[in-house]
Amino acid sequence: MISSGTLHVISTELTVGMFSLSGIAFLFCLIKKGPVSREAVAHWALFFGLLATPFAIITGINASSGGELSNPLLANKVLLSMTALGLAIGVLIRSRRGGDIDATHSVLGLSSVTLMLVTASIGGEYTRRESLLFFLPKETVPIFPMWAIIAIIIVGLFLISKSTIEHRS
Amino acid sequence: MRSRDCAGSCHGDSSTNGVSTATLDIIPQQEVYAGLLIEVETQVGGVEVSDMRMVGLTLLSNKDGAKDLPSNDGWEIVTDPNGGVNNYVEIIDDFSIQNTVSQKWTLRAPTSPGFYELYLGIQHGSPDGGIAMVGISESAQITVSEMPENLPRLSPEWTPPNVREVGVKTTIKLETVNTESVYVEMKRGSGIVNLSVVDNEFTIPAAINPGVVEWRVIMQGEGPDQQSPWFKLTAQEKSWDVDKTVLYLQAISLFLLCLGLAMTQKPIRNEELDEIETIESDLEEKYSSGVPAIPQEGIPEGWTMEQWEYYGQEHLDSISRGEQL
Repeated sequence: MISSGTLHVISTELTVGMFSLSGIAFLFCLIKKGPVSREAVAHWALFFGLLATPFAIITGINASSGGELSNPLLANKVLLSMTALGLAIGVLIRSRRGGDIDATHSVLGLSSVTLMLVTASIGGEYTRRESLLFFLPKETVPIFPMWAIIAIIIVGLFLISKSTIEHRS
Repeated sequence: MRSRDCAGSCHGDSSTNGVSTATLDIIPQQEVYAGLLIEVETQVGGVEVSDMRMVGLTLLSNKDGAKDLPSNDGWEIVTDPNGGVNNYVEIIDDFSIQNTVSQKWTLRAPTSPGFYELYLGIQHGSPDGGIAMVGISESAQITVSEMPENLPRLSPEWTPPNVREVGVKTTIKLETVNTESVYVEMKRGSGIVNLSVVDNEFTIPAAINPGVVEWRVIMQGEGPDQQSPWFKLTAQEKSWDVDKTVLYLQAISLFLLCLGLAMTQKPIRNEELDEIETIESDLEEKYSSGVPAIPQEGIPEGWTMEQWEYYGQEHLDSISRGEQL
């Protein structure tokens, strides 16, 4: 029987590997250099990285001894990973709708990858108390007031619906 | 809870472990009654450890490496030396060849009277590093006796609290059996103070800093007076907490916002691209054929397009030179 910890390592490496590959390909897209396949690689790697992410999250929660949210680092992981997830899915949808792979698109893709890799690095900080990213927030979690959260949800939903209507028209 | 075999899995191949020089002892209290709480003292001496001065101690019921948890024999860890309920603890203390370090465990004895054994396992680093040292004590033999019927005692269902928050006083309700009067003693510095018990409840004052207070219960009744083990109550800083609903809502809001922002970047539609490509190819074809572009005022009056193709460039050049035609 494989333990949750081992499964978490497997799924995390899969996720991080895919996002790293995607990040390199998006970097090539941004500077408009490199192989012709860079756009396809960037988006497919991002897609497979997204597929592997839920497995990493579930095995991570099972492997965590302190429970679901017992540490500020874990709360920051939740916020960062959801932000990265939103950006990544948005980039994929835009690409699917025939969007040009311009500088903005590449920067959005790169941002999503960066956030996801920072999330993974927080995992290292949580389990081994060490990370290359020394500036990671360890004690503080930026929690917005409820009115701000509701406002952001409304703005988010408005942007999604506006984008969908523009695409259909 | 941890078996002795875990030492190998946590520190690489167990065959590469070294043998610890530690002297290990388990000293149980003299009278142990079935199902009652007892205090067990463990001692570690004569050991050289790494610079971290950390030692892992495991309370075990046999030295076979299998089914060796105390719970397999019916023991319950009520309080470990760190204030938890584990059979494995990591202790940082002044371990050395000269020193002996003592730790106290509170256990609930098995409910079946009989003869039992306990062992103390140890694992630690070495001064030079690079190798895990392991060892295990000789057995401590404990006879668990049938409990006298009229023995004043704590209820078998009652368990003492192990932790509390700093700055919060702790009220504890005792559950006793065959007890007519009860009082509580608490260690304070080098002395002992009595705490008043009303309706089997007493209060331990709030701790100002993180630390441990020890207390015990003295029970009197028809049977011989009884005293409980010293219980440890560890005061900790308030653990980190967050409103999970707000956190998840914020995560969802960030997800939606970023999704919306990424999707709002208006894609160039395919029809527009086709149109741009058509215009570009027309222009390219026109310029590559050598026919000059027709000015805004049109071709000169009386000229045919054929004439413009041949003489148009000459006409434009002369206009640019300012010549009158």
